[in-house]
Amino acid sequence: MAEPGRVPPPLRLCRGCRQFVRPDEEACPFCGGDLDTLQADYDKRVADMLHAAAELREAMARAGVTDREA
Amino acid sequence: MTEQRTEALPVRYAGIDDLVNRVPVSVVWEITLACDLACQHCGSRAGRRRRDELSTAEALDLVEQIAELGARDIGLIGGEAYLRKDWLEIVAAIRAAGMRCDLQTGGRNLSEERVARAAAAGLSGVGISIDGIGATHDGIRGVPGSFELALAALRRVRAHGLSSSVNTTINARSLPQLREIMDAIIDAGATNWQLAIMTAMGNAADHPELLLQPWQMLEVMPLLAELAVEGRERGLFLQPASNVGYYGPYESTIRNIIDDEIHFRGCNAGETVMGIEADGTIKSCPGLPSPYAGGNIRQRRLRDMWENADPLAFVRRRTIDDLWGFCRTCYYAETCMAGCTWTAHALMGRAGNNPMCYHRANEMDRKGLRERLVKIKDAGGKSFDHGEWEIVVEAAAPGVPDPISIHG
Repeated sequence: MAEPGRVPPPLRLCRGCRQFVRPDEEACPFCGGDLDTLQADYDKRVADMLHAAAELREAMARAGVTDREA
Repeated sequence: MTEQRTEALPVRYAGIDDLVNRVPVSVVWEITLACDLACQHCGSRAGRRRRDELSTAEALDLVEQIAELGARDIGLIGGEAYLRKDWLEIVAAIRAAGMRCDLQTGGRNLSEERVARAAAAGLSGVGISIDGIGATHDGIRGVPGSFELALAALRRVRAHGLSSSVNTTINARSLPQLREIMDAIIDAGATNWQLAIMTAMGNAADHPELLLQPWQMLEVMPLLAELAVEGRERGLFLQPASNVGYYGPYESTIRNIIDDEIHFRGCNAGETVMGIEADGTIKSCPGLPSPYAGGNIRQRRLRDMWENADPLAFVRRRTIDDLWGFCRTCYYAETCMAGCTWTAHALMGRAGNNPMCYHRANEMDRKGLRERLVKIKDAGGKSFDHGEWEIVVEAAAPGVPDPISIHG
């Protein structure tokens, strides 16, 4: 292929207002939030949720309860 | 610049590798212009077959050429594809070449026998067009009873185990009925729902009363986000077409395939999308008019056109300097590049400035303004033609009708 396709610059999702912003932004131009801080908070919430789900699944398995029964 | 394809991704989803390598992931092929409906918004003004449609031998050879380019999915459209006598030969050839094959249809005469034979030929899925409830659909499609026939066809497709989709154009009449349409198609067994904004091309250019106005994108996007979430919970996957958008707080929700960071990346015409007309004309997108045609398969090999024809290369060669109007200075210009080329060209006569945009309407609204499209010249009456439109910028508040400015 002599001429590659154009790959447009990807955008970043602001975890404060859920608007997409340009990747070079530090603060969201729409809600003013600090993008890195908001992302870190979001990542932690997701990790906590996954951890809680795993613990629940283990507890259910120990009690002999399947996902379907739950 | 490489990525692994995830099995959960739809076949038609184009990734970064596809973009870089310009793989025509999705090929939309109008195999005949013959049609059994009379749709008020038909871009190709279908009805009678073209005089010079490809022969069976030419069509089967074209299938091989498409496969050589690495295409993954061919959508057969019309007109009404099943009115072509050899359509199942084409379906079987596509499947034998290792590609997925879908039929996009109005479903009026998609009989039990036709569905059974199509399934036996290897058809992967069917998308049925439904543009409203009952009389709304019948009026837009030009045939009384076509709504019930479409729903019956959808049930038939589902019963034969084919993937069942619905295509809906969002227009002035269907917009208030979208929720009701969703209920009806879930009930009839649809698992995918593709939604596109009605575009002012072909017959649609003759029906300005059907077209949405730009400010209505402020209503469309939150509604689609709501329906996307609800649909997913009920087993219906909402797929916005390339002319639905762009950005704002609803972009992530409506385009969330596997993660919420997926967003609109600009027009894919001639990059990962190819359109083919029934006479063998090759275009960068099925809806675009003749200036975007790269040639005809009867005169030139497909690979040669795909790799070298200038009219197919406009997306990869353009820059922000090719944009104009609001889009030229938009915050998202470099990524969006004025959205859907088909929509922009049909309204503005050339690409690069697209008023059908949520972000644009929202920016206008923040200033107390809105844009209104006014037709100033009719379309000529041929396939894929368009009229001329002006954008009137006016006060957003009702009761203030005086135009503030007009630009084209």
